[in-house]
Amino acid sequence: MDYIFHFGPIFARWELFARGALLTVQLASASMAIGLLIAVVGAVLRSFGPAPVRWVIAAYVELIRNTPLLVQLYVVFFVLPPLGLKMSSSQAAVVALSANLGAYAIEIIRAGIESTPRGLVEAGLSLGMSRLAIIRHIVLAPALRAIFPALASQFVLQLLGSSLVSAIAAEELTAVGNNVMMQTFRNFEVFLMVGAIYFVLVQIFQTVFDGAYRRLFRWPA
Amino acid sequence: MRRMFRFLAVAAMAVLASTAAQAQTVDEIIKKGTLVVAIDTTTPPYGMLDGGMQASGFDIDLAGLIAKSLGVKLEFVTVNSPGRIPALLTNRVDIVVSIFSITAERAQQVWFSNPYAGQCSAVVGPKNLAAKSLEDLKGKKIAVTRGTPEDNITSAWSKEHGDSISVLRFDDYPSTMQAMLAGQVDLMGGGDYGDIYLRKSSAGEGFEMKFPLRCFHFGIGLRRGNTDLLKWLNTFVYTVKNDGTLDALSMKWRKAPLPALPTM
Repeated sequence: MDYIFHFGPIFARWELFARGALLTVQLASASMAIGLLIAVVGAVLRSFGPAPVRWVIAAYVELIRNTPLLVQLYVVFFVLPPLGLKMSSSQAAVVALSANLGAYAIEIIRAGIESTPRGLVEAGLSLGMSRLAIIRHIVLAPALRAIFPALASQFVLQLLGSSLVSAIAAEELTAVGNNVMMQTFRNFEVFLMVGAIYFVLVQIFQTVFDGAYRRLFRWPA
Repeated sequence: MRRMFRFLAVAAMAVLASTAAQAQTVDEIIKKGTLVVAIDTTTPPYGMLDGGMQASGFDIDLAGLIAKSLGVKLEFVTVNSPGRIPALLTNRVDIVVSIFSITAERAQQVWFSNPYAGQCSAVVGPKNLAAKSLEDLKGKKIAVTRGTPEDNITSAWSKEHGDSISVLRFDDYPSTMQAMLAGQVDLMGGGDYGDIYLRKSSAGEGFEMKFPLRCFHFGIGLRRGNTDLLKWLNTFVYTVKNDGTLDALSMKWRKAPLPALPTM
C-alpha cells in the first residue's frame, strides 16, 4: 500500500472532534440513565404486574427489538412532528436511544429476576416483608448483580450505536468525522481518528462501570 | 542500407505525426465524417438511458445538434465523471458534452466553450416564508446535505456572522427534504434536482426555490490548442441560445427555463 498518511489537517481540527465526542458522551449518558430507569421499572412490572401491563410491556419490547435503531430514529425525528410531537435532533436522539436501550435492558434484567430462586421469595414472605421490600432487596439486588456484565456490554453497544444519530443531524463524533472527511478528503485518517476516540470512550465507560460494580455489589456472592 | 533507415525513419515520423494529438480544425472533423462525443448516461436529465436503453437527455440532444450542424455522423463514447478529461487528452473523443462544470482547475487541462446550461445550488422553502438572501436566514433552521455547496456556503456564512443560522446536516437529499416536509427545519438547501423532486412529492406543492446560492455552468469540453474548434463551438452555442433552441431543450428535459448563461 503506497498511501501516505497526513494527519496534520485532522489534528488541526481537534476541537471539532472534541465537541463531537462530548455530545456522544452526553447522548450516551442520558440515554443510559433513562434507559436503565425504563428497564428496572419495566422488568419488575413485566414479572410481577397485572396481565394487561405485562402485555403492553411485552409488545413494546418486541416492537423495539424487531426494528432497526436507525428506523426508530427516523420515526421519532421525521414521522412524529406531523403528528404533533416535534423535537430537536438531540432530543429525538435521546428519546430513541433510551427507548431502544430500555427494551433490550428489560429483557436482560428480567432474566436476572427470573433466576432468583423461588425459595428466597417465600422466605421473605414468611418474614412478613412487604411486597415492595421483597422486590427491592431479595429479587432486584441479586438480579442486578448477576446481570451487570451483560447490562454493561449493552450500554457499550448503545454508546457505539449512538453513531447512527448523525443521520438525524445530531453533530456527534461520527457526524463530525463525516464533515471533516468532506472538507479534507482524508478518509483513512478520519476513520482511524474517529475509531481511536470511540475506543478510548469505551475504555472510560468500562472503568466507570467496573467502579460502580465494586461499590454497589459489595456483599459476598 | 542507410537509405532504408532514412526511409523507415521518415515513415515512422509520418505515422507518429498523424496519430499524435494535433489541433483539430473543423474542416478535419467534417472530412473525417464523424464527431466522437463523450457522454455520461447516469446523470438525468442531461444524460441517461431511455426505455429502449438508448442514450437520451439534454446533453445527448445537444450533441446531436452539433453533429447535424457540421453535417457529420455522431458517435458516442460513454465515460464517467473522472474519465472525461482523460478521454479528451488521449484522443478517444473530439469533444465532451456531459454536465462538464467550468472550473479553473479543469481549465488547466482542457478548454471549455461558452456555457450552454447550468445548475444552481439554491435555498428552497415554503411559499409562505419570505427569504431573499442569506440575511433572511438568520435565526432560522436550514437542512442541507453534508458536503454539498449549499452546506459549505451556508455554514461558512453562518460562521462569519456569529453562528446565526442553525445548519442541520443530513447524509442524503431524501433526508434533507424529509426534514423540511416534517417541519423540523424552516428551509433546505438543494440543487436543481431538489426543486424538481420536491414538486413530484405529495407535499411538494407548498414549496418553492427562494434564491440561488451559487451557479455552476456547463461548457463543451475540447482539447487545448483547438482554436478553430473552440471558435466554432462558441458560435454554435451563441446561435442555439439566440434562436431559442437551447431554451426549448431546457423546458423539454428540465421542465424549467435556463439560468443566466454568461459568456467567458
